[in-house]
Amino acid sequence: MSGYSVSVALTGSGGAGAMTAGQILLDAASKAGFYGLMTRSMGPQIRGGEAAALLRISTKPISSLDDHYDLLVAFDWGNIARFAAELPLAANSLVLTDPEQGEVPEPIAVFGARAAELPMKSIASGIPGGRVNMVGLGAAAVLIGLPLDSILSVLTAQLGRKGEEVLAAATAALRAGAEAAAILPSVTKLGTAPKDGVVRWNISGNEAAGLGALKGGIKFVAAYPITPGTEVLEWLAPALDKTGGALVQAEDELASINMVIGGSFAGIPSATATSGPGLALMTESLGLAVASETPLVVVDVMRGGPSTGIPTKSEQSDLNIAVYGLHGDAPHLVVAPNSISDCLYATQWAVYLAEALQTPAIVLSDQAMGQARALIGKPAESPYVAKRLVAEANIENYKRYALTASGISPMAIPGTPGNNYVADGLEHNERGTPSSQASDHQSQLDKRAHKLDAFDYGDLWADIEGDAEIAVVTWGSATGPVQEALLRAKAKGINAKMISLRLILPIQPAKMAAALKGVKKVLVVEQTHSEQFHKFLRAHYDLPKDVAVISQPGPLPIRPAEIVNRLAAWK
Amino acid sequence: MTVQTPLTHQDFKSDVKPIWCPGCGDFSVLSAVTKALAELGRPREDIAFISGIGCSSRIPAYTKVYGFHGVHGRALAIAAGVKLARPDLTVLAAGGDGDGLSIGGNHFMHACRRNVDMTYIVMDNQVYGMTKGQASPTTAPDWCNSKLTPEGTGISPVEPVRLALAAGANFIARGFAGNPNEVARLILEGINHPGFSLIHVLSPCVTYRPEQRDWKQAVHASDATPAQLIAEAMHRLASDDGFTTGVLFAGNRQAFMPPRRNLATIADLERKFAS
Amino acid sequence: MSEVAAFLAHAIALEAEAAERYDELADAMAVHNNEAVAELFRKLAHFSRLHHAEVKEHAKDMVLPQLKPWEYQWQTAEGPEAAPVERTHYLMTPYHCIHLALQNEKRGHQYYADISYKTNDPEVKRLAKEFADEEAEHVVMLEKWAANIKAPEPDWDMDLDPPVVSD
Repeated sequence: MSGYSVSVALTGSGGAGAMTAGQILLDAASKAGFYGLMTRSMGPQIRGGEAAALLRISTKPISSLDDHYDLLVAFDWGNIARFAAELPLAANSLVLTDPEQGEVPEPIAVFGARAAELPMKSIASGIPGGRVNMVGLGAAAVLIGLPLDSILSVLTAQLGRKGEEVLAAATAALRAGAEAAAILPSVTKLGTAPKDGVVRWNISGNEAAGLGALKGGIKFVAAYPITPGTEVLEWLAPALDKTGGALVQAEDELASINMVIGGSFAGIPSATATSGPGLALMTESLGLAVASETPLVVVDVMRGGPSTGIPTKSEQSDLNIAVYGLHGDAPHLVVAPNSISDCLYATQWAVYLAEALQTPAIVLSDQAMGQARALIGKPAESPYVAKRLVAEANIENYKRYALTASGISPMAIPGTPGNNYVADGLEHNERGTPSSQASDHQSQLDKRAHKLDAFDYGDLWADIEGDAEIAVVTWGSATGPVQEALLRAKAKGINAKMISLRLILPIQPAKMAAALKGVKKVLVVEQTHSEQFHKFLRAHYDLPKDVAVISQPGPLPIRPAEIVNRLAAWK
Repeated sequence: MTVQTPLTHQDFKSDVKPIWCPGCGDFSVLSAVTKALAELGRPREDIAFISGIGCSSRIPAYTKVYGFHGVHGRALAIAAGVKLARPDLTVLAAGGDGDGLSIGGNHFMHACRRNVDMTYIVMDNQVYGMTKGQASPTTAPDWCNSKLTPEGTGISPVEPVRLALAAGANFIARGFAGNPNEVARLILEGINHPGFSLIHVLSPCVTYRPEQRDWKQAVHASDATPAQLIAEAMHRLASDDGFTTGVLFAGNRQAFMPPRRNLATIADLERKFAS
Repeated sequence: MSEVAAFLAHAIALEAEAAERYDELADAMAVHNNEAVAELFRKLAHFSRLHHAEVKEHAKDMVLPQLKPWEYQWQTAEGPEAAPVERTHYLMTPYHCIHLALQNEKRGHQYYADISYKTNDPEVKRLAKEFADEEAEHVVMLEKWAANIKAPEPDWDMDLDPPVVSD
């Protein structure tokens, strides 16, 4: 549909290897010089559950899934009804099925796409050690026009160490699938891979967030595993270990956030990663970090909520708790990456901001970015690294919470002679001594609010593209579909501006007013049930009279076509 | 070169005046902590003293070292973070029976088994003082003086030293606030012993548990050498009356500390993403 | 290390602990708005410091043992003149304060009297006797002082307000 990309879904249950095949396809696309994106959808089973690898391969950088898949390769139909809604197909899409698995089931058939049969299981069984997913992968590669060589080179790299036999079996199955595909109906094919000389990275949003934390200067992480944030930690654990830092697994999120507070109090830039339920447990102590002015970063990889919700699928519904969840007046930072590569930049920036402002920063990533892998150009270096204002030794009458022009006070790090103080979550005076006096409360509240409000966040507060009387205001992973929609709308003669907020807190009224200057209509795009972002905008910013909202809960991603249609309706 | 005179325990006291009720055992614990630190001989800036919420958790502010007065129940987590991030510091944590064994009970168990090198002082008065005298996890089941549990809790109390032993603490001692010099010795031994050390201090609350003034008659010093085997310590503690003071267990587990290595640069790690 | 040096080290610590405890109690009373008793404890601390200085004067040409707090050989848990913390109350009156001090001085006297009786070292015996006599004077002085203070009403510890809640 886009003309520069092809979308492929590989599905199957119980060890059919759909995810592995998808991973190989993405790696091969990278080898062949394409850009790409892969997300996944999984059932709740630890092993053997239904799984889908959802790919889009492109000749230029992309930030969103497409409206539909050009090719669906189904190794089997187990539990397909559970996620058929996540597999939209068009009339000219092709469903490749194994005749042994029976008819195309109703939830897929309703899309009205073409179907073709490929006896993957029987082909695989004819090859010693042959696997169904390799047969399907070979067929898919031929159908979308991805050179088989690129897949073979990935297979060699990945299976080489497992021995000749394994590699030979996989290669044979792949070739058999490719040969069988010759007689299949045609599918949208990939164009020529761009020869842009850009070094490609194959990275997930969670890995990118981990890398961003490390590049920002994080040296200590304490965390408790939780889906879908765990991969941030899994990447950071060996990375920190190799680079002089440490990651510690805590007994729960109450412990992890407090260990992080301890690490940061001791002078070491510290962070944790979690998801909604973990963030909820951390909120009391985030208030402690605010009151005690202890910098730290929490990466929240959002999933469907409330409660345990849908751990494996995406939603933007932690916005409210991230913004409003702390008790008391607790100014803090909320930073939202709006693409997989921005998971790196935004997290790195959040480390810098938290350290500079001596306050906690919540990074709102989500499952859609976190667990998606993208083929992107190697990210440019970002200048933002942790730099804390620390107190020199032996300051006479040292006041940890001194009222300063910027609101930021030099922090004495344990080991610094002469400036010992007690950090406190109780309201305190400038020295840190507990105080319930109105004047101390007022001045410390003012200080903590002022340091955030007075800081210059530069242009990074939002990504603004285009200039028009219509503006689409969005954030986080909803940004990708918006960007794609605006390109398509432009082709149809509809101009719209995009404002994607990266800095959720503190609010930036002057900058938003400038960005909305001349804008007559605003379309808000977000992935929540209760329009959390829309309400947030209403509460803090002046919007024009004409406002429309596209807000849907997870797990279905926002599709570009829906946005284009809404813009077209306005016109 | 100037000759440094050694710090006395008075040098470890701040000029902030305790809000504790006159007669409170915590005064003696404060005295014991400062005496232990003076004997330890490290500079004040190399010590971090972490607490949660409760009467006894106010203690860091009354000392002259780096301190953190955190939220209720999380002192051990903050303390572990400090030590894990800065292994060079001497880390103490302190709090009451409610902070450490009720709201912070999970952290207590895991701090014992994690065995990070730090010393945790529990000032046990078997009552919540700051919220007007409710039963705590160490309160006897038939104590009826709280409006919340007018018939008593009916729940068996937890014995902190037994819990610590079961969970894997590497050094366990009990002291009595009425003997601050002995408590000072126990704290110093705890600091010098590798791994997680629990110093359980019977610290009377004269406001809500005035009968605890009689603890002076109940406590008795252990006449045994400290148990080094868990089984031996278990056996002794099984029949302990809760008033035996002294070092009850001194184990030999290695303290937990992730190694610090420099094997790669961030650029090395980034190369793995390039296809 | 001579017995005299050890004896004087103990005597110095005894007065130091007593003074420090009185200071702590004075501060605690001040925090609890019991200024009258706070003032008395400050006075008692002052006297203890005077005695402390006197004992130090005795030892000025001597090398004293450096004892850790728990290495002192008291017959009691703490130095004999340290006021027992648990014998205090935020509403205590000057009467209680003086009687508390009297008990402390009596223990001090007893401590020195015991040593002067038991020791074989003539110099220690002489000093212990001297210090015991001094403590006896303090006891007499405090007894006189106590005699002039009216006993408090039986409900001296009644608080018309309940305890407050804090953190």
